Amino acid sequence: MTPEWLLRSEGYAPRSDRDAFIDKSIRTFLSILSRIRSQTRGTQRKAFVDARVKLVSLLLLILFTSLSHRLIFVGLCGTVVLVILSLSRGEVILDILKIALAVAGFTFVIFLPSIFWGNLVGAVTVTAKVLICVAAARFLAATTEWRALTRALGAFRIPDLFILVLDFTLRYIILLGALSLDMLYALKLRSVGRNKDKTGSLSGIAGTLFLKSRDMAEDTYSAMECRGFTGTYRARRLPGLRVSDAFVLAADVAFVCAFAFIGA
Amino acid sequence: MIRLQNVSYSYEGCEALRTINLDISRGESVAFIGPNGSGKSTLLKLLNGIVLADTGSYVFDGKSVTRASLRDQTFARTFHKTIGFLFQNPEVQLFCPSVEEEVAFGPRQMGCTEEVIAERSEDCLKLLGIAHLAQRPPWHLSSGEKRKVAFASVLALNPDVLVLDEPMNSLDPKTKHFIKDVILSLIAAGKTILCSTHDFAYVEGLFIRGIVISSDHAIVRDDDYQKILADSAFLASQNIL
Repeated sequence: MTPEWLLRSEGYAPRSDRDAFIDKSIRTFLSILSRIRSQTRGTQRKAFVDARVKLVSLLLLILFTSLSHRLIFVGLCGTVVLVILSLSRGEVILDILKIALAVAGFTFVIFLPSIFWGNLVGAVTVTAKVLICVAAARFLAATTEWRALTRALGAFRIPDLFILVLDFTLRYIILLGALSLDMLYALKLRSVGRNKDKTGSLSGIAGTLFLKSRDMAEDTYSAMECRGFTGTYRARRLPGLRVSDAFVLAADVAFVCAFAFIGA
Repeated sequence: MIRLQNVSYSYEGCEALRTINLDISRGESVAFIGPNGSGKSTLLKLLNGIVLADTGSYVFDGKSVTRASLRDQTFARTFHKTIGFLFQNPEVQLFCPSVEEEVAFGPRQMGCTEEVIAERSEDCLKLLGIAHLAQRPPWHLSSGEKRKVAFASVLALNPDVLVLDEPMNSLDPKTKHFIKDVILSLIAAGKTILCSTHDFAYVEGLFIRGIVISSDHAIVRDDDYQKILADSAFLASQNIL
């Protein structure tokens, strides 16, 4: 039988409470999920350069930029990175530069004492190196699908099983992120007054997520076993390189030569 | 009570709702019908203020529901108290250590006295037939029991409008009949019921009005529920039957 209080519409004047944390958490989750989804959706245009080649180029850039003591070579690297960045969309450039400049700015602050001791060139060189490396790494992340990146690791003799674990990690971040977002929405919809135990609600969400992730992991492992998984995993073989990749690799060789002549 | 005018919504570049126009009066029982991915759940989320329209307007009980109005704490809380939402996946609604606390969460926030909280919790648990689960942690329940707990936790707020997203999903026939009876009693109590469903056999007799959303995310028919169900050719053309 329907209880009497449920039959009548009730006037309700909510009490005030500070619960901006729910909205802030929702915004943060939305932004992170949106970013990850755009990287993993598989709808990006076919890449002009293979992820393996991009990864090799990035590692060479970071290695030789870090090794070089010549400001002119660091300047050259900076120019190359800026030219490559300029090929991207405006919002991507802004996103990359925002983070790279923030990290470089932080580095510069750390080096301030050495500037007071007269080591201006050293401080500027290190800051520029940080700016270049972070911008290049961010560019790789922004323009390459994460799945392609994890696959590219196979070219560096990284075990297939490790790549599989990386792929799973990414997938679980998306799934559990979406679940936590829905839980925060549910909490928000029922937060109609004063919650005296906000930390309790959040720890409840965290606990549920932990249990869910454990169940999902067990189910996935069982499903893999049912499909013949015995502990070894072979990733799909990567396709051959194209002309555009050969062009970038040639540019990498030129870059190494430039280091040998003006950077070392 | 609810008015949507020319509402459109896109999610990460994908259109989810296209030019939705809708008027729902107090006490109506409305079924939203459509194929997978048509935008039913998105529409229900929009009605609950979880997502906001890109274009068009949403008026609830004479007040516009916008980003700005939902920033007003008093409005947002009154709005969420008046319209309750049962998520498609009930697991996301359960975050308290026990079923009893889960159901008491809403009334406790409302500032009800402990006697009222106890009364409401007990009534809701009895109404949903889960009084024996009161001390159990929600996580370890079956999916049918979880759905009942989530339902009870929404009912405890005594909302005027109940929005149910696929309430019959993953339930056994007995539980479906039970949930149907509960919804019928709520309709009889004058609640406005908005429900998305695929499970036509178990919702027979629940709804007066049906709204069909097509795979291109627009409302293609707003009619008597029975008439829609009787039109097999139309349902087949919409990939519903």
